[in-house]
Amino acid sequence: MPAAFPKKTASLNAVPVTHSEKTLSTQVYIPEVAKGLGQSMKHFFKNWKDLVRGERPDPSTGVLDDGITTISYPEQKRPYPERFRGQHRLTLRDDASPRCVACLCCSTACPAQCIFIEAGEYAEGDERRGYERYPVKFVIDELRCIFCGYCVEACPCDAIRMDTGIHAVPYDSRSQFIYGKDLLMAIPSRDGHHETENPRHEPGDPGHPGVDRLKAH
Amino acid sequence: MPTFKYDGKEVPFEPGESIIRAVARQGKEIPHYCWHPGLSAPANCRMCLVEIAPAAGQRAVTLDVLDWDPAAGDYRARKKPKLQPACQMNAAEGMVVLGDTSEHVKEARKSVQEFLLLNHPVDCPICDQSGECKLQDYWLEHGQYEKRMRDEPIHKPKAVSFGPTIVYDAERCVMCTRCIRFMDEVAHDPVLTMRERGNLNEISVAPGRELEGHYTFMTEHVCPVGALTTKDFRFKARVWFLRTAKSVCQGCATGCNAHLDFDPRNNKAYRYRPRDNEQVNKYWMCDEGMLSYDRAHKGRVLEARTKSAVSSTKSVLLDAARLFDGVPKETVAVVFSAQHSLEDNVALRELASLLGSSHLFFAKAPDGYEDKILINKDKNSNTRGVHEVASGIRTFQEFLAEVRSGKITHAIALGGATSGDAAADAIELQALKALVTVSAHEGALTESAQIVLPATSWAEASGTYVNAKGIRQVSEKGIEPQGSSRPAWEQLAELARALGLEPSWAKLKEIRAKLPVPKGSIFPPAAPAASPAGPPPAAPAAPAP
Repeated sequence: MPAAFPKKTASLNAVPVTHSEKTLSTQVYIPEVAKGLGQSMKHFFKNWKDLVRGERPDPSTGVLDDGITTISYPEQKRPYPERFRGQHRLTLRDDASPRCVACLCCSTACPAQCIFIEAGEYAEGDERRGYERYPVKFVIDELRCIFCGYCVEACPCDAIRMDTGIHAVPYDSRSQFIYGKDLLMAIPSRDGHHETENPRHEPGDPGHPGVDRLKAH
Repeated sequence: MPTFKYDGKEVPFEPGESIIRAVARQGKEIPHYCWHPGLSAPANCRMCLVEIAPAAGQRAVTLDVLDWDPAAGDYRARKKPKLQPACQMNAAEGMVVLGDTSEHVKEARKSVQEFLLLNHPVDCPICDQSGECKLQDYWLEHGQYEKRMRDEPIHKPKAVSFGPTIVYDAERCVMCTRCIRFMDEVAHDPVLTMRERGNLNEISVAPGRELEGHYTFMTEHVCPVGALTTKDFRFKARVWFLRTAKSVCQGCATGCNAHLDFDPRNNKAYRYRPRDNEQVNKYWMCDEGMLSYDRAHKGRVLEARTKSAVSSTKSVLLDAARLFDGVPKETVAVVFSAQHSLEDNVALRELASLLGSSHLFFAKAPDGYEDKILINKDKNSNTRGVHEVASGIRTFQEFLAEVRSGKITHAIALGGATSGDAAADAIELQALKALVTVSAHEGALTESAQIVLPATSWAEASGTYVNAKGIRQVSEKGIEPQGSSRPAWEQLAELARALGLEPSWAKLKEIRAKLPVPKGSIFPPAAPAASPAGPPPAAPAAPAP
């Protein structure tokens, strides 16, 4: 009669551990330590030589390759994905004014309620008067921001973007996290420009017929 | 009452009434732009088109139309019923009207919506009307088409100043002419008109004139779209951030019903909108009233003070107790305020009877402009109310005379405003040995007071006001109390306690139970807070000393 619980045979995955014999050199300990250190030093000098010659692949670009996956973080950084949501910026027009029209759609969409905008009207005689308004104040509390990107989605003017590639910066006081309009306008996108590729149709543009009714017909 | 059928439901109507009005009274809306219950019906927006089934034995009025048949690659002739504007069509007994249930009506609404939005700039992000715009609402409800026109829309003047208060945007205008009709029919100043035709149609002000007067804000209010905006509210806030309280305007004794719109995030009132009340203001308010929302913030008493030194309410009350220590009751007077609610005045009356004072006076702001439409010359919201609270109260001039003669040396007053010249009154009041004023707003009575206690304004506390017609109206609380202000009836209870008396009221309910029996009607009628719960005092007149 076969046993109800037959004795398991040794698993094929298991590697039997072999113990080296206790020879005099292992008993003395010092030579073995020197041998081990020697092995480490061999790898150290080999890596060092590769680094100096530039033969070793860059860990930040070769992340997906087989090989070394550890990077020395603060100096080396993994590339962020293209749609990484970083620090906000306010995009500019050609005349360096913000594209923002202070519609408050971003602060309405913001689940963290971190955007404060005060709207203002263009002065009498300005081409944009009546067509647009502009932000007198545009403040983002970066401490409250959860980087969800809803503000970018909500913006009808492509005026706020999170394509700077900068992630939340640590500061030593709370007031430094309150980003004002000027600072947000000064931050460039990842490729260094302040505009967006999306064209605008606004008074002053060549294709815009403007408010002159006779010209429009 | 005769009835007709709208979408299969019986709708009662008064003879001669339009379909849209009868349906609106049932709480159901037929979409419309140009119709307004308080104005005439020009039937020019065509949004309220309805299908009316032909009467028995009559032939239906139909239109011959051509439909494109993509399968046949040709047009096909079809008949469809001629739709009627519900704002012009009078209801008739047994009429069968189809609105939401008619495919023809649905198609018409969608087409009208597309037509009105053809040249619309769709600048909702910067439009103040956004969020309460009929174009937005009806597009969601009846439009939902994809824009077919690919041409540059017609451009018309934007941000045209119509006058000191109103800005006009011709591109957003749907030419409903409500503003023109309002100025004609209600304000009796036909200053607005329409010019050009078709695409270039726009509203303009009569040459040599500006849109001015006492009813310009109403043109913005009746505008169903963002064509007219007020300079006061322009770009100040987005309406979806605002919350509203059913308030009563404090500008004059008419007591217009209003919605007080405020932002709870910064505790700030932003605007008034008229609230329909057939008995008081119908659908309208005057400019001065519309702008008086800022009295919730301007000229306010926000901190307790002794002389001019701001201090805590507690220490100020101790000072008050010291001032009134051992004063004979014959020399103590109380001054009611026509600018404070019934609750506050009743609390003062109770305090007077606890003190044993029989010198009752009342102060009110001086009279001003009046007209035959809405504006009352009495610029106080509660003058009738003060007279209901206690009979035989004397005027402020008599109070000053008594002070001059030295008969009255101590006084407790409500409200800051006085009817005379503020500076002169303040100097006269300095003859008093002690004046304790509980007030929401600064005035002669707070200027020369030894003790000032901050009270909440009408916007920050629920209160009852009696208008010039004797209608008692409850104004809801909107914003939270500012500074260290509290309702005046609460401050008066604290004052009574500080003076060593035992006030009989501590809660709003308790003070409301003491309100005099209303002589006129009450708004809102259903509100239990408006009607006095307990037995009313038999003779509220002279509190027995």
